[in-house]
Amino acid sequence: MEQRNKVSICVLGMDQHETGALAAARMLRDAGMEVIYGGRFNLPNKIIDDALQDDVDMIGISCHSWEYREYIDELMDGLKAKEMDVPVVLAGSILSAEDRDELMGKGVAEVFGASATPEHMIETVDRLCRDGAA
Amino acid sequence: MTEQFTQAGIPLKPLYKPEDIADLDYDTQLADPGQYPFTRGNRLKTGKGAWIHRELSGEGDPSISNQQIKNLIAMGQTGMDVIGDSPTQGLMDADHPIAEKTAGTQGTSLCRQQDYNDLFNGLPIDSMSTSMSLPPSFGVAGLFTAAEDMGVDPAVLRGSVVNGPFYGEECSYAIHMPFKLRVRLGTDAIEFATKKMPKFHAFLEDTYFIADAGLNIVEEMALGFVEVRHLTRELLSRGLDIDDFAPRIAFLVDCRMDFFEAIAQIRATRRLYARMMKEEFNAKDPRSLAVNIASHTSGLSMTAQQPINNVVRGTVEAMALALSGVQAMEISTFDEAYRTPSKEAHEVGLRTQQILELETNVSAVNDPFGGSYFIESLTNEVETRIWDMVMELEAHGDNEKVADGGVFRNIITNAAGRYAQEMADGTLKKVGVNAFTVPEEEDKLLKEVTSTKIEPCTQQVEKIKEFRASRNMDQVKQSLKDLHGMASQEKPNLIYGICDGYRAGATMGEMAGVMRQAYGRPYDPYQMVTSPIGL
Repeated sequence: MEQRNKVSICVLGMDQHETGALAAARMLRDAGMEVIYGGRFNLPNKIIDDALQDDVDMIGISCHSWEYREYIDELMDGLKAKEMDVPVVLAGSILSAEDRDELMGKGVAEVFGASATPEHMIETVDRLCRDGAA
Repeated sequence: MTEQFTQAGIPLKPLYKPEDIADLDYDTQLADPGQYPFTRGNRLKTGKGAWIHRELSGEGDPSISNQQIKNLIAMGQTGMDVIGDSPTQGLMDADHPIAEKTAGTQGTSLCRQQDYNDLFNGLPIDSMSTSMSLPPSFGVAGLFTAAEDMGVDPAVLRGSVVNGPFYGEECSYAIHMPFKLRVRLGTDAIEFATKKMPKFHAFLEDTYFIADAGLNIVEEMALGFVEVRHLTRELLSRGLDIDDFAPRIAFLVDCRMDFFEAIAQIRATRRLYARMMKEEFNAKDPRSLAVNIASHTSGLSMTAQQPINNVVRGTVEAMALALSGVQAMEISTFDEAYRTPSKEAHEVGLRTQQILELETNVSAVNDPFGGSYFIESLTNEVETRIWDMVMELEAHGDNEKVADGGVFRNIITNAAGRYAQEMADGTLKKVGVNAFTVPEEEDKLLKEVTSTKIEPCTQQVEKIKEFRASRNMDQVKQSLKDLHGMASQEKPNLIYGICDGYRAGATMGEMAGVMRQAYGRPYDPYQMVTSPIGL
C-alpha cells in the first residue's frame, strides 16, 4: 500500500490566529494525509526538531502576522544545517504575490495566498511531499 | 423552491405574517426602550450621539499609539479604543525572546506603568470613554495608575476592558495560566473597578474574539452567557450584591453580514440578559437589567480579495448595528485581512459611522424594526436557541472541567472547520472569494495600503531592556514577592498587588510570571527567561 503523506502544520512565534492552521489541518486530513498538528507558539528550532523527529514530508506554516518575515531565514538556514530537504510551505491571506516571490527566492517551496483554492493546495502539497524540496 | 437559512441555520420563509407573532405581547416581551425586558433598547435615545464612534487602534510603542488616538479624535472619534499587541495580550514583555519579532505590529506594546502613562498622555481620559482590548487585570491596573499619575480621579474614568477568562487560552490570546487563576484575575479586575472606578465597565464580555473563529450567533452568545453567568456567581460568592456590579456588565459582540440575524442577535441578547438578571439573580436596580452592547464588525467577513469591497461590508454591518441600537461600534477596516488598520482604513471606518449617523436619519427613531413580523419572529427564535445552548452547556457540569476537558475548544474549532467548509463549497457566498472572482493580477486597487507592513518596534524592545537594567531591583523584587504571596493565598484581590508592582517598576511579564509560579506553573511558559525572585 502506498504510504500516506505526512505533513506538519503549525504557527510561528506569537501569532495568535489559529483558524487558518486548523482549517489547513482539516483540509489535508480530509484529503487523506497524515497531519502532525504543532499548534501555536513555535520558534524555528522547535519546528525543525519536531519535523526531524516526526519525519514529516512537508512543513506547513500558517501565517496571520508578519513574524514569518523575521523567522524565515533562521528556519531555512536551520534546515540546511541539519541537511534536511523537507519542503516548507507558507499559507495565509496576508501573503501577497510579492511576498510569494520573495519567499520562494529564499528557498520556500510554495506560498498560498488568499486566492489559493483547496484543490490547488491539496494537489501542490501532494506533489511536494512526493518530490521533496528539490 | 430552495429553502433559505440564516448564517446560523435558522430557516427563513419568503414572507412573514401576523400569525408568526400572534403570541407576541408588547408589554412583557418588547416594551418601550428603557423598560423591562429592554428588547427595544436599554434606554430611549433622543437626538444626536446615538452611539459612540470609535475605531480599534494600537501600533508600535505607546507613544505611537497615543498619536494614532489623537489623530482619530481629530477626525471626530467620540471614544478611545486601544488593543495590545500579541505579546501584551499574552502577558509577555516586548523584550522576551518570543516577543521581540512581533512587538508593536498587531497592536501596541504595554509592559510597564510608564507605557500606560505614555499611551494616555494628553488624552481626555477624564471626559471620553476608554475602551481597552487588553488583559483585564493589567489593563485596569495600568489605566488606574496612569490616571493617578495624570491627576485624574479614577472615579470619573469611563470605558471598558474586555474580560474573557474562559476561552482566550485555547482559542485566542493564550496567557498560559490555569483556569482558576484566569477566572480570579478577571473577577478581581471587576471587583477592583466596582470599588475604585465605579463608572468603568471592567466586565465587558467579549464574544467577538471567539466568534470570529467562525462561530454562528447562537454559539457566540451561548458561550458568552455561560461566561457571564460564571463570573456573576463568582462575584456573588465574594459577598458582592448583584446590583453592585451588574450595571457594569456589557457585551462586545460580533456583527456579521447576515443583516437581520445581526439585529435579532442584539435584541434577543438584551431580553435574555434582562430576564436572567431579574429572575435568576434577583437584580433590582433597572441598570442591572439593561445591558450595554457594543459591537465590532466581523473581521472574518472581510476579504483579502478586492479590499475596496470591504468598505461596503463594513457599511452594511454598521447599518445593522445602528438599527439595533448599540451603545458603541467599531468597524473592521478594509485592510483587515492583511494588517492592523492603516490610517486610511481608520478614516474610512470612522467616516462610515459619521455618514450613517448624520446623513441617513437611521438613528432618529428607536428600534425601527420593533413589531416587524419577521424581526420579532427571528428575535424569538434566536433567543430560544441561545438559551437552549446555554442550558446544554451548563448541563456538562463544572466549567473548569468543561474548559480543561476541551468542550469549549471543540465548539470553536468545529465552528472554524464548518466556516472553512462553507466557504470552500460555496454554501456561504463571498463575493471575490467563491463568487464573481477576479484574477489576482487584476486585483490591484488599494494594494499599496494593504501590502504595507509594520516592522517590529525595536525601539520599544530596547526601551524595555534599558528600563529593566535601570530599576531599583530591591524594590522590584519586593513587589514581586508580595504579589506572589498574595497569589498564593485564596482571598487577596490581585489588582492591588499589580498596581503596587507597576509603581515599583515591575513589568507585566514579571508579575504574570510570579503569579503563574504561585499556581504551580513555570514562570515563563517558553522557558526562556527566569524569575527575578527565583523559586
